[in-house]
Amino acid sequence: MSERTSPLPSLPRLVAWAVGLAVMVAVPFYAEAFFLQAGVFAMAAAIGAIGLNLLTGSTGQLSLGHAFFLAVGAYGYVYLAGESGNGLAGLGLPTWLAVVGAVLLAGLAGGLFSPIAGRLRGTYLGIASLALVFIGQHILHNAHAVTGGANGRDVPPLEIAGFSFADTPELVVLQVPFRALEKLWFLALALLLLAAWIARGVLNGRPGRAMNTIRDHEIAAGVMGVPVARYRAAVFVVSSMYAGLAGVLLAMAFRRTVPDYFGLLLSLEYLAMIVIGGLGTVAGAVIGAVFVSLLPPLFTRYADGLPLIAPPGSGGVSPAEASRILYGAIVVAVVLFLPGGLMGLWQRLRASTAARRKSTPSPRMEPEEQPA
Amino acid sequence: MKSSLRKTAVSLTALVLAAATAGCGSGKATGGSGGTGADGVKQGPGVTDKTIKLGLATDLTGVYAPLGKSITNAQQLHFEEINKAGGICGRTIEAVVRDHGYDPQKAVSIYSELSGSVLALPHFLGSPMVSAVKQRIESDKIFTIPSAWTTALLGNQYIQVTGTTYDVDMINGIQWMLDKKMIKSGDKIGHVYFEGDYGESALRGAKYAAQHNNLTIVEQKIKATDNDMSSQVAALNQAGVKAILISAGPRQAASLAGIARSRGMKQPILGSNSAFSPQLLDTAAAPALAQGFFIATAGAPMSSDLPAMKKLADDYSKKYPGQPLDSGVVNGYGGAKIVTEALKKACEAKDLTREGLIKAHRSRNAFDDGLGTPMDFSYWDKPATRKTYITQPKKGAPGGVVTVQEATESELAKNYQVPVGTF
Repeated sequence: MSERTSPLPSLPRLVAWAVGLAVMVAVPFYAEAFFLQAGVFAMAAAIGAIGLNLLTGSTGQLSLGHAFFLAVGAYGYVYLAGESGNGLAGLGLPTWLAVVGAVLLAGLAGGLFSPIAGRLRGTYLGIASLALVFIGQHILHNAHAVTGGANGRDVPPLEIAGFSFADTPELVVLQVPFRALEKLWFLALALLLLAAWIARGVLNGRPGRAMNTIRDHEIAAGVMGVPVARYRAAVFVVSSMYAGLAGVLLAMAFRRTVPDYFGLLLSLEYLAMIVIGGLGTVAGAVIGAVFVSLLPPLFTRYADGLPLIAPPGSGGVSPAEASRILYGAIVVAVVLFLPGGLMGLWQRLRASTAARRKSTPSPRMEPEEQPA
Repeated sequence: MKSSLRKTAVSLTALVLAAATAGCGSGKATGGSGGTGADGVKQGPGVTDKTIKLGLATDLTGVYAPLGKSITNAQQLHFEEINKAGGICGRTIEAVVRDHGYDPQKAVSIYSELSGSVLALPHFLGSPMVSAVKQRIESDKIFTIPSAWTTALLGNQYIQVTGTTYDVDMINGIQWMLDKKMIKSGDKIGHVYFEGDYGESALRGAKYAAQHNNLTIVEQKIKATDNDMSSQVAALNQAGVKAILISAGPRQAASLAGIARSRGMKQPILGSNSAFSPQLLDTAAAPALAQGFFIATAGAPMSSDLPAMKKLADDYSKKYPGQPLDSGVVNGYGGAKIVTEALKKACEAKDLTREGLIKAHRSRNAFDDGLGTPMDFSYWDKPATRKTYITQPKKGAPGGVVTVQEATESELAKNYQVPVGTF
């Protein structure tokens, strides 16, 4: 909305953008593989979370089937780009085409589900979409030729015009060796910016207002001429395509797809992301995704220095357990105390500092002026 | 229009600035640790003048937590002993333990961390986890000992599968049952197995043995989350099987044995090495496991007479009182020893890089740690040994099992073509 009200972005805003971008670009030159891996996962999750936020946060449609669409994207890419052989089927398409194909495939899967998505509301859709996760698990485990069964399948690295997003050939940029993770970092960053930009466009325009109206009052939306069912179905498709793109990126970051990953827990994690980050905004989804996906690995990594946590294998609360406990506690705390999520907290902080800075008198009447 | 132009300009400036500053002052530009130590030894990642870092990617909170804990403890025991004796190459061994909780994504993150900071991975639990990073292990040249015995991990010179693979165990096991006249040509035998490479690898071995002995395998595929074996037992009973093979977890094996015996089924049950854990003997399934339940495994049981084994059992019980002496202790200790022996050899060649380490390791063709059968590491497209012990649970014995037949390689297993990199 701010984009519309102020066509010229303010200077501090621009500087913040530039600094943020510069930091993100500089990270691969300094950070070790662990941070890059975590970062690529986080950015992929952010794309998926933006998609879910369009559906759940902005349109008020609960979906527990997000993991299914992530799987469609991941396995779609592997199937389209992979080679046949060794008991596996694959189309061997150029990898960039496979990315596009996988995203469209996820959209198609969402489209097939859209007659249901268009008719069901809120929680009912949540329950219906829950079935997708279980159907997905069954297919992933048993369609051996496409998915590789329980042990999964290798993911072919992306190659665009001869430039390969793999460890070899090693690319040296400014004396820093660029391997798969460094390259994927930039790919993920570019895709995230694109995904965020498109989602902002949707939310700030006419469709966004229609979606919010559907969320807030469906009958009112219908009365005002919003084709409710059509919108609901369309948002579901868009959200699935975001999930598909996130799935492709996740597959590339994993370099191997495993069916167990795409379970119900993953769907819940994405819901946690948008709730923690803040429903309804792009920035909220990104913040939530970064938070949820970075917390566990960072905890495992730096648990040695924390009090009350025993080193793995020595008994006592291990880092993995501690990170789960903390994660749960944070979700509860956010739901209880921060109804707007982390994004809401940020906006509240900003509003309060702005109010303090602005000492202009409020248009309220002074007490003595007030009529008795 | 104007605003987007301004935005683009600012973004571009930011990009250029970031890229320009990035090159200088980055630790990555120099390649981090490495180079040559003060004593003239070439050093790889994780090696300094004082320490050698080794990574343990284990499961302490997931489904294989008991196994992961035993292996981790045993390896730390070994590193402690090495350090007490002065370390290797004048450097102490430092173990970096990370818990992936049997979650592939966590395992990938952990691998990313460890691959940059340690020299080798003496313990990497779970075939799905190791498979997930198999390509990267190859490109990172990192010496890895997986705590998984599937043929899917063969064919990579940096991954050393210790002992036999599951399929070889099953072939030797079926041959043993034939020799003992438990089954005969023309019989049906049931096989309950996990989907995925563990179970399917074992099934492949069983099918091979069956084909050569005119046996029929009655397959029962299960998921890792299936804990109740009633329907499987009923199906096998109806099929009239003369023996049952199980390649699943301890929980499933206990359920299978308990239900089969309570139904009055007397067939022998033969499990893969991951189908039993000594903790089962403290459960209600203990009496069922004492009758006609056998395990085919490459690792000698803790109760065997090998002097090294006795010492290990003593030392382990002293350091970790009350912890079970299961097969993980032997596997873990053995795996750690394979890596430390390779390190010693690499030290002699003054080359503690990853390349130097794998070269030292692959030059051994008769490695014997005194804990079981000697292994040949000079090839990586075949199991390091084809000898399988047959053991039996026994309450009160160290490790809960006793040897029924010493390590034996059957003629059938000798001629078996092991699938490489698949199952």
